[in-house]
Amino acid sequence: MTATFNPFTAAQLSRRQLLAGAAGLGAMAAMPIKVWAAGNTLNIRTYTEGDNFDPVDASGFGEEMLYGCIYRKLIQYTPGNEWGWQPDLVEVIEQTSPTEIAFTLKKGQMWSDGFGEITAEDVKFSLERIIDPKMESAIKPDLGSLSGVEVTGTHTGVIKLSSPFAPIWSIALPYLAGTIVCKKAIGEGKRITDAVPPTVAGPYRVAELRPGDRWVLERNPEFTGPKADFEKVQIILIDDEATAEIAFEAGDLDFTRIGLGSIERLRENPPENAVLSEHPSLYYVWVGMNMENPKLKDIRVRQAIQHAIDVPSILEAAYFGVADASTGIIAPGLIGHRAENLVPPQADFAKARAMLDEAGVDTLDLKLDVLNKSTWTTAAQVIQATLAEVGINLSIGVHESGSFWSLGKEADGDRWKSLELVLNRFSMTPDPYYATAWFTTEQIGKWNWERFSNEEFDKLHKAAMGETDTAKRDRMYKRMQDLMEESGAYRFITHEAAPNLYSKELKPAVRPDSLPLIQYFAKA
Amino acid sequence: MSIAERSPFKYSVAGRLISDPLAVAAVTIIAILVLGAVFADFIAPYDYKALNVRARFAPPSFEHLLGTDNLGRDTFSRLLFGARIALFVGMTSVGLAALIGLTLGMIAGFGPRWLDNTILFLFDTLRAYPTIILALALGALLSPGLGTVISVVVLTSLSEYGRVARTQTQAISGREFIDAERAMGASTMRILVMHILPNVLGPFFILAAINLPVVITIEAGMSFLGVGVAPGTPSWGATLKDGFDYIRNTPWLIVSGGIPLILVTLGFTFLGESLRDVLDPKLRKER
Repeated sequence: MTATFNPFTAAQLSRRQLLAGAAGLGAMAAMPIKVWAAGNTLNIRTYTEGDNFDPVDASGFGEEMLYGCIYRKLIQYTPGNEWGWQPDLVEVIEQTSPTEIAFTLKKGQMWSDGFGEITAEDVKFSLERIIDPKMESAIKPDLGSLSGVEVTGTHTGVIKLSSPFAPIWSIALPYLAGTIVCKKAIGEGKRITDAVPPTVAGPYRVAELRPGDRWVLERNPEFTGPKADFEKVQIILIDDEATAEIAFEAGDLDFTRIGLGSIERLRENPPENAVLSEHPSLYYVWVGMNMENPKLKDIRVRQAIQHAIDVPSILEAAYFGVADASTGIIAPGLIGHRAENLVPPQADFAKARAMLDEAGVDTLDLKLDVLNKSTWTTAAQVIQATLAEVGINLSIGVHESGSFWSLGKEADGDRWKSLELVLNRFSMTPDPYYATAWFTTEQIGKWNWERFSNEEFDKLHKAAMGETDTAKRDRMYKRMQDLMEESGAYRFITHEAAPNLYSKELKPAVRPDSLPLIQYFAKA
Repeated sequence: MSIAERSPFKYSVAGRLISDPLAVAAVTIIAILVLGAVFADFIAPYDYKALNVRARFAPPSFEHLLGTDNLGRDTFSRLLFGARIALFVGMTSVGLAALIGLTLGMIAGFGPRWLDNTILFLFDTLRAYPTIILALALGALLSPGLGTVISVVVLTSLSEYGRVARTQTQAISGREFIDAERAMGASTMRILVMHILPNVLGPFFILAAINLPVVITIEAGMSFLGVGVAPGTPSWGATLKDGFDYIRNTPWLIVSGGIPLILVTLGFTFLGESLRDVLDPKLRKER
């Protein structure tokens, strides 16, 4: 027999001791997270991961959260309940004519890592590269009619528009496309391809990037504005709202958006040391109908469907009664918001049935396509039940996001031809231009899946973009939504609601639609 | 006791199953599920489609035995109708997979070597696809639905049946009685159908019984992932998914959705075990 070395017997370690040791190690491993959450680290959730550090390649709010921390803009959204902007890099900025905006930068605003002062040349470089066709930036439309920037001094310049563009103040300058980057660090015609940006100017800088998990930011010691309140910020990717809520309760998050299904429970029993805040949202949800599908070509059939969908039931079932019915695609508080719909939100089955009879339709088999999220599938089942009341048999097609977002796109195949009804939801920025832009004739087969085409709508969209008279602009957008609804191709559902849950030890800064402006977050 | 005194029923497959408590438990569970599915129209206290949003997330009570779901539908009624889907998917998928696997396996086991190699290559290729990945891919390519669920199950499990059939065929085809049949001029088809098939079927029943709960769980899993049956269709997996989505609102939905899956797994696993004890002579000797 040969003697073998047994580490357990050699160290006289019993099974019980081993388990106790493992438990101890586990507790130690968890400790730093708790310490961070309670101390100088802000742990905030994102539901979407940005792709990169270069605004020219940005696509949405995932990047905006990051850019707000590490970059600066001429102006930034003001935190609070009213949409507005406040100066960031600029000392003075004013519209000197319908097509010109003059600005003067504050002096002594610096880039990190030795890239010097932020100048008007950086502003020109940053904005012009977004509209440069060679750069093929997806956010180019955000800058509308911007034609260039004239540099008049180290700190002064004039933003030039080819035609008046009202959303310049609400979308272009304070959002993604208005992000200022360093000309010297990037270079003409080039992109940021490094693992971390070569230089930053915001209150934080990138410490670590863990794809699919989180961005870790740390305080930027070279920031020339007021010192950031947190030493470290972790922007943590959690797609599922229920998971985020559990993470919040476990102390792994300090701020998160939560699901609407949780509001009622949290109103009654908020977690200890937490605050629930509820905000209106800008998103818009609607049931769209493909006007070119043979089953839906008759306007009376489409209008019957409009009348047969009971919006209050959808809101109660899928949105837990915490979201209001929408009157169009433009949310309350924005120019162009309509006070009421042409078709009331409540279903009128008798009217719907009469319209179908008039169209010579006895029974109708239709398909509604939705995303595979519980809110959509729940709403779809309610729609299925209400359409059955008028003899429409609805089947529900559920898609994962890749499949869903190609349903109506001509570039992705012929599926748009068989598309019938679709439950859709678009994101929005605080200018009505951003809502109507997707429903023009030009957008058919791209984002206009209803294939709605109306000459008056197209003309109004172009005109309203440059209209600076607010009252006139308001009337134009209202008319455009009337045209959409009159076509029968749209049944407007809701703008949703946007609840956040955050630690009492935090003083959050959010836009009116609840999206966080991390750069302004502070300790309570 | 002499051989002449033996009761023929007691020593038949059915007789031996009845004398096994595990088999009795299995048959009872399966019978309850099957009868529940068949007579769901009469047993279900509510219309499984009827929405009552104001009564959503109700806990179990005399009014709603297993509570209500996110749309206020009676969970017990939905699970009863869900049993129809589960058993339909289970039986159809296992039946199709077994039929295709059996045919290909017997051809591979009895045919020339090149055909055997080709069919084995096909089995290995199909076996290499992880079920869930294939389910997600097919769910995205085709639209989700029962057809997709059945296709996934058939594609991923037919190789298992095929391999068993091939091995059994190869083992039997070398026996003397097969040589004798050949010498008497029997056709290949006659040998396969009349002599090999009956000997292959025993292990097939065991395999099918053990696979059925797996298949039903795959259906539930695919519905849980959103690539199974369409929303609104009563399915155990869909109930589980709703339970997961709304676990913060009620724990009952996920518990209720899990009960039939546990029962069906226990029932068919017990039955498979008992069948193996009865049909496998080697095991019988060892007992």
